[in-house]
Amino acid sequence: MRIIRNAMTLGLVAGLGFAGAVAQAAADPILTRKAIMSSVGAAAGLGGGMMKGEIAYTPAAGKAAIATMRAASLSFGSFFPAGSDTGDSDAAATIWSDAEGFATELDKYSAATASAAAASGKSGPADLDAFKAAFGPVLGTCKSCHETYRKQN
Amino acid sequence: MKKAVIAALLLVLAGAGIGWGLSAPTRMSAEEAAALTEGDAARGEPVFWAGGCASCHAAKEADGEDLLKLGGGLRLETPFGVFVAPNISPSETDGIGAWSLVDFANAMTHGTSPGGENLYPAFPYTSYARMSAADLGDLFAFLKSLPVVEGKAAAHELGFPFNIRRGLGLWKRLFLDPAPVIAEPLNGAGVDRAVWERGRYLVEGPGHCGECHTPRDFAGGLVLADWLGGAPAPTGEGKIPNITPVEGGFGSWSAADIAYYLESGFTPEYDSVGGEMVHVQENMARLPASDREAIAVYLKAIPPISAGSD
Repeated sequence: MRIIRNAMTLGLVAGLGFAGAVAQAAADPILTRKAIMSSVGAAAGLGGGMMKGEIAYTPAAGKAAIATMRAASLSFGSFFPAGSDTGDSDAAATIWSDAEGFATELDKYSAATASAAAASGKSGPADLDAFKAAFGPVLGTCKSCHETYRKQN
Repeated sequence: MKKAVIAALLLVLAGAGIGWGLSAPTRMSAEEAAALTEGDAARGEPVFWAGGCASCHAAKEADGEDLLKLGGGLRLETPFGVFVAPNISPSETDGIGAWSLVDFANAMTHGTSPGGENLYPAFPYTSYARMSAADLGDLFAFLKSLPVVEGKAAAHELGFPFNIRRGLGLWKRLFLDPAPVIAEPLNGAGVDRAVWERGRYLVEGPGHCGECHTPRDFAGGLVLADWLGGAPAPTGEGKIPNITPVEGGFGSWSAADIAYYLESGFTPEYDSVGGEMVHVQENMARLPASDREAIAVYLKAIPPISAGSD
């Protein structure tokens, strides 16, 4: 009984922590989406480095790169609420003026990561060629979104 | 008193006369025109991609084969007004189908239309003026081989005084100069001169990189002292980066990084290309690898500009 109560308390604490994170994200969507995009950059650097042969390929690293992209593709679009267009951000005004077009680009991104995650399986793509086939199309979606929905930099 | 008025009037008239003379559209000399020879369409294709013609003259969302349909229509919204890219498909009535090679070369290198009008420098003839006669001939042959697109593009939307084409003649006298911008490679001892010069030709000429990456003065002329030092974006939001080998900036990119970026669209940190550079990068990806390497060699050996935007 005590164990159950403790578990419930733990769950409650964890739940509160999660709620706190959500509240913080809502309070600072720019910080949140930049952190997500920074993880995308790190995953692209890891995956791209392996594709170029600069980093030795392992299935675990391949899986990490793909899983990061997958999570980002599903969450990133949630942090562009109305009013978050000003501030320290490279997000272009077109994200809000052409919300439909932005959503289309996000769909392309999440479709690519869904295929990659499926190919990745439980232990990651077995070899570099399998990783390239899975990860290449994910990288391919970066620039079509950045072309229109990021400020020139 | 009367004399003074007459003198003043004469002065104004003389000034107007000089202004009229100085603003006259220029053309190639007879010798330059004679040096042009009908080109080869297959050789013209890489010139077409290097020049980025499709980025403005194809439809906005064009991809694949549609990049070869040059009906124009793209709107460039600038501080001077809206420029609309014209139809340069081989249509006899709406495009450049009725132009001669000399007409084409005059437009490319003098900014002068076959009818003798000054063209607006939104069409980057200030860079194209550095192109070789051979490339102009080949490019013209390639353009002539492309699909005909009917229909003229809309007119430019410009206020006074920018709507006076004649006035551009004066602007061209100030800013149209086909001489190379960078005369010598910086610290040239270890640089392969022929490769560097090929890169210079591509960057300063057909690639017209300076048109966006170099800041402009109040009159819209490039500030050559800040060559490739970065500038506010000419259209849309944001800025165009400094691509000189400046410490703490672009200087950290190796020549291989630059060539890889032009091929793949990824920076050394695996950020991706964005904005208008997406078209440019995709054009550069169609060039031979040796050309991308030459561009990189050139960019690594030009004066670093630290006062630029980035």
